[in-house]
Amino acid sequence: MSPARRRSFVERIFRAVVRLFPFDFRADHGSDLEQTLREQHREARRVGSAASFGRLWLDVARDVFTTAPREHALILKQDVGYALRALRRAPVFATSAVLTLAIGMSAITGMAAVLNAVMFRPLPVDHPEQLISISNQDGMNAYVSYLDFVDYRAEGSVLSDAIGYVPRPASLNVDGSSERITLELVTDNYFSMLRVQPAAGRLIQPNEGRAPGEAPVLVLSYAYWQSRFRGDPSIVGKTVRLGSQPFTVIGVSSEAFRGTESLVRVSAYAPAWMIDAFMSWGSQAKTFEERSLRTFSMLGRLKPGVSLEQARAAINVRAAQLARDYPEVHKNISVRVIPETQARPNPGLGGFVRLAATAIAGLAALLVLITSANVANLLMARASSRSREVALRSALGARRGRLARQFLTESITLALLGAIVAIPVVMLATTALRRFVSNVTAAIAFDVDFGVDVRVLGTLIVVAIGAGVVAGLAPALAVCRSDLGSRLKSGARDIGDRSGGRIRSALVVAQVALSLTLLVSGGLFVRSLDRARHIDLGFEPEGIMLATTAPTLQGYDFQKRLTFYSAARDRIVAIPGVEQVAWIQFPPLGIIGEVAEVAPEPRPSDPDWRPPLAAEADISPEYFETAHVRFVDGRPFDQRDRAGSTQVVIINETLARQFWPGDSPLGRSLIADGDRVEVVGVVQDGKYQNVGEAPRGAIFRPLAQRSPVMATVAIRTSGSPIELARAVRQAIAYADPEVPVYDVRPMIEHLDNGNAFFPFRLAAFMTTLFGGMGVLLAAIGLYGMIAYHVGQRTQEIGVRMALGARAADIIRDVLTQGGRFAVIGIALGIVLAAGLAQMLKELLLGISPFDPITYAAVAGLLVAICLLASFVPARRATTVDPLIALRAE
Amino acid sequence: MAPRSRAEAFLPLTTPMLHTLVALADGDKHGYAILKEIARRTDGAVRLSAGTLYALIRRAEADGLIVETDERPDISLDDERRRYYRLTPLGRKVAAAEIERLEAIVEMARDKKLVPRPRSI
Repeated sequence: MSPARRRSFVERIFRAVVRLFPFDFRADHGSDLEQTLREQHREARRVGSAASFGRLWLDVARDVFTTAPREHALILKQDVGYALRALRRAPVFATSAVLTLAIGMSAITGMAAVLNAVMFRPLPVDHPEQLISISNQDGMNAYVSYLDFVDYRAEGSVLSDAIGYVPRPASLNVDGSSERITLELVTDNYFSMLRVQPAAGRLIQPNEGRAPGEAPVLVLSYAYWQSRFRGDPSIVGKTVRLGSQPFTVIGVSSEAFRGTESLVRVSAYAPAWMIDAFMSWGSQAKTFEERSLRTFSMLGRLKPGVSLEQARAAINVRAAQLARDYPEVHKNISVRVIPETQARPNPGLGGFVRLAATAIAGLAALLVLITSANVANLLMARASSRSREVALRSALGARRGRLARQFLTESITLALLGAIVAIPVVMLATTALRRFVSNVTAAIAFDVDFGVDVRVLGTLIVVAIGAGVVAGLAPALAVCRSDLGSRLKSGARDIGDRSGGRIRSALVVAQVALSLTLLVSGGLFVRSLDRARHIDLGFEPEGIMLATTAPTLQGYDFQKRLTFYSAARDRIVAIPGVEQVAWIQFPPLGIIGEVAEVAPEPRPSDPDWRPPLAAEADISPEYFETAHVRFVDGRPFDQRDRAGSTQVVIINETLARQFWPGDSPLGRSLIADGDRVEVVGVVQDGKYQNVGEAPRGAIFRPLAQRSPVMATVAIRTSGSPIELARAVRQAIAYADPEVPVYDVRPMIEHLDNGNAFFPFRLAAFMTTLFGGMGVLLAAIGLYGMIAYHVGQRTQEIGVRMALGARAADIIRDVLTQGGRFAVIGIALGIVLAAGLAQMLKELLLGISPFDPITYAAVAGLLVAICLLASFVPARRATTVDPLIALRAE
Repeated sequence: MAPRSRAEAFLPLTTPMLHTLVALADGDKHGYAILKEIARRTDGAVRLSAGTLYALIRRAEADGLIVETDERPDISLDDERRRYYRLTPLGRKVAAAEIERLEAIVEMARDKKLVPRPRSI
């Protein structure tokens, strides 16, 4: 390198070093500092020793890492002190700005907490980033069979190990008192692969049990150990009962470990070898031998240094091999390998949950923008009233850059104060949300820890600084642009009258536009919810009470369960006001439901034909009458359909059309989950898993031939269903006090909290809440803006009034001004909303993202609110006393 | 308020600040010359980085202890990009007050025989 070039390189470094110092410092001493560095460099070269160069560069490093940051910190300290003093002098302004910012901040932080829990927070285990989810995808079903699990796990080139697990409800009986818990059935290496430590006793160990039923041991979760046994260590070694089966408690998992389920509260762990006691197909099934019994969630641990891509490639090869070896089972299955964090709450739903969560977080971000715009407006108004102070400081030597920095510091300070207010709000909100989620009743206990952790706080701080910058930018720019000197002389009150006014107008327009966007998405979700409620479900939910029981948790066998179902029904029928009573395995549209592979007999000859999955439920004969499901053809189940007699089935219209188009299905046979069953009836179509589903096949099989391990009783009453709750509990207890009863609630409530309406309710609630806050903020912003303008025009209005203008004219004038903002904001907002709605399309039900009614209603509402916000200052304008106004001139 | 007590309001000075003021006591200097003078007089025991020096200069200027001066030495010795600084009367008093303060401490230490007295002058 030539000396000349080296010099220019060194000079560039010196220039860069100088640039690290604060603006004022550079303005005063930048060139001087650069010159000194140059002279030091020249001297070092003259001396020529390594020591002299070493000293020089050491000094430069000190300046970069110590001196420059210290200078910034000093200015920051001054500015923050100044900002706090200034805010203390204007408490009303400060409070309203902080509260406004806190609203947006709470919304986005709350969402951050949800997203964190659902998508980002790693599992509290050793090296969580190495964990990958491996699933066999087939529609919503994303589980793997035990045999597939073993095959994937053998992919030792990429996986160091893999675990499988299945959550199941169970009744845990300790010393005669039983409680319903969620049990996680886990492969023997579960704890060793996750490297979890015991808090007491020991954990399940590799090779614990080698055949089904061989390892009746139980590990308690730390939280359950604390809540039910108050952390009593003597529980270890005790024998308890899960249902009818004795298990030995061997230990407690560590406090930090909350399991591998992101949404489910797991109370205990048992070896997968014990699974058959908890599956609905009972002990005759072959979980460990049947490749088609897809039961397990699977997590693999990547070998150190192996990338996700490599693992995916290796497992795809293995899956292709399985598809060749077991074409029947693997035909429509595609293997999916994704990071564990993307597979929550389960690999099949992960994508949808992420989409929904991201959409709502986006809406929260819009709300933050609205609050920032609002505070920007407040700051602009304040900047106007402070313009003499600004001009004075400027005359005393403060540079514009310095003043702009001061403004930004002030707005960021406000935003950080808003963040401090937001933290307790978010904590309360997430606690409430957690309670809300655990109230979503299902066979499995839901629980999500939305705890506010470092990631959430980090997001809050970043958002606060961002919001502060956005809010402070407009006034800071206005300071930079305005002619401060002339302001001091003229005593004018406004900073950058014209450009400042324009910025403020733009901010109000943006607020109107953004809140319209939020409200439109809220409206679309409300309309979706309304559509969902009016969709023909294929049954009549009003007037039905539900109660779920699980006799199998008491270890009842086939016959004993039937006896129980029948005895309970007899008791319930006798309750006054009860019109009809029936059992169904799972009520429709719940969180869980059964599906079955069905094929007509004879099987279609097309070799590519594959049996469809139909919704399946075991029912007692009275179900269709109870639920008001229309019978199309054939007969309901009756006394003939017993265990041991010909296996029969009732199908719905869609399946009938699918298998025997134009022909009566009665008397035909089909294969359902391996059983040959005869069609005896056809019923109308309905919705089975979610309200948005396309018409699909469904089969109903007699309870008496199936004896499901758990079932829900549906009770139709002429009165109010909720009043039956106590009587129903009593009736079931009378039939058998041992059997746990839960989810006693009206069908309508089941639909509200289940797959039917819950997602729409949640989305509608969140978006209308955000939208409502947005509109409120926009109204405040517009009001402030118009009030400010009216204030500025007091003299003009006074003159006009003196010259005989009528109050109505003045009001019309001011309203026109407000209306103009509204119209521009609404036009802009409609474009924005249409763009956003397009993205939300997947989440809407039976409604176009461009639904004109929603758009018109929201636009109308906003026009009304804008007019109202303008009307108040307009009225005030007409009360201007011309004499006082003129005298002020 | 008496000028003397006004100077005392600045005490104690940091070591780099004192050295900077002392370096300017015998005439105006530019930044690099101040650095060299301090390093030379202390045998390299006190070394300021350029950034630290200008941070000190800014503070001293703001406090009225030094000012930038337009008088420049002979053109042949000068680089026009340099800026020169001069000790103000207040700066001189502050530096003197700091030295007196240090002397008082040294005197105290000698009374207590912490350090020996110099033999004679």
